[in-house]
Amino acid sequence: MATAELVLGLLSAGPAHGYDVKRGHDAWFPDSRPLAFGQVYTTLGRLERDGLVEVIDKTSGGGPDRTIYALTSKGRDHLSDWLNDPVPPAWGSADEVLRKLVAAIRTGGDAAGFLARQRASHLRRIRELRETPADDDPTSPLVREYVVAHLDADLRWLDSALDRISEQRGTR
Amino acid sequence: MNAALELERIEYAYRRNTALRGVSLQLKPGEVVAVTGASGCGKSTLLHCAAGILTPDAGAVQVDGQDLAALPEEQRAALRRTKVGIVLQFGQLVPDLPLVDNVALPLLLGGHERGEAHKAAMNWLDQVGIADDADAVPGELSGGQTQRAAVARALVTGPSVVLADEPTGSLDSRAGQELLDVLLEAARYRGAALLMVTHDNLVAASANREIRLRDGLIQHEVSL
Ligand SMILES: Nc1ncnc2c1ncn2[C@@H]1O[C@H](COP(=O)(O)OP(=O)(O)OP(=O)(O)O)[C@@H](O)[C@H]1O
Ligand SMILES: [Mg+2]
Repeated sequence: MATAELVLGLLSAGPAHGYDVKRGHDAWFPDSRPLAFGQVYTTLGRLERDGLVEVIDKTSGGGPDRTIYALTSKGRDHLSDWLNDPVPPAWGSADEVLRKLVAAIRTGGDAAGFLARQRASHLRRIRELRETPADDDPTSPLVREYVVAHLDADLRWLDSALDRISEQRGTR
Repeated sequence: MNAALELERIEYAYRRNTALRGVSLQLKPGEVVAVTGASGCGKSTLLHCAAGILTPDAGAVQVDGQDLAALPEEQRAALRRTKVGIVLQFGQLVPDLPLVDNVALPLLLGGHERGEAHKAAMNWLDQVGIADDADAVPGELSGGQTQRAAVARALVTGPSVVLADEPTGSLDSRAGQELLDVLLEAARYRGAALLMVTHDNLVAASANREIRLRDGLIQHEVSL
């Protein structure tokens, strides 16, 4: 679900407590399930172990919520790679596309460039699916049509997202 | 390899509206490019400039290395007739002419013998799946049949450049795919450069490249 990358995105504005990260996440995605505290701290712990975030302050005597985390340069690179890469088109990939798009806009990334690459990636996948030769399995055309129809729906949403973003950019 | 179609910094304004603000693109033989973008962004205008239907206010159009504006009228007409096949967004068939004559028209105008032109036309009507309607006049056809006839007419001369504006717009998805396949074959097996304007992502997915316009400019260009 890309929670780790979203946490990096939330820290890109500056160092923060786990609690701020959780609140930030829930504000970015008001319609999704709130991020559990437990998950925030496990994720921050894993990111620290991997050198993507570092602890810059730990008020003595406090619990884990007193710890302040900051993005490392390795973490920043990881985030920017993630924001640049299109999501592999598959069932349910649109959710992650939305997460990346919101994170890109919130962190000042190149949202239009990401959307263009994501469009290309979806279009390529549709072509692949359509060029797959028929086999004997009677369910495979059904599955393929299902996937193509959903990728097409994603693409229509990507289209309007692109238009909306360019409008906002144009009028700013 | 020389470009089959090259547009250089094309600008075009209608009386009140500026439709194109400097668009450049190149298509190699056999290449398929989808032009996408919101309604009114300039797709049809671009295609009409490429086809020589509109003369750009600035910039140049080259077909097979020949600059349209530099040719005398008669040679330009001949180049357009023989090298460029056009499928327009809104009907372009001659109303009172049976389909077979409509499709044969570019050959007849080019001085081909009548029997030979009809034979070629029948062959293309068959490829697009409406050979049975050869004697019907355009007014008797559905939107989808008209589009198929328009594709047959665009391909009958074996053009180096095929320009198609929403070629599958009036067809359901299966019929649309069949007609698209006829156009794609013209590119893949006959080496025509195919420029398709489309709102349909399933059509765009069959291209080698997507060029997306916004407000008369290229917003992005991606290889597929
Ligand atoms: N004959 C005309 N006279 C005046 N303005 C025109 C004319 N044709 C097009 N325009 C304007 O030029 C701009 C580009 O139009 P164009 O037809 O190229 O758009 P399009 O991208 O093909 O749109 P659609 O997807 O709706 O077909 C639009 O603002 C349109 O209103
Ligand atoms: Mg148009």
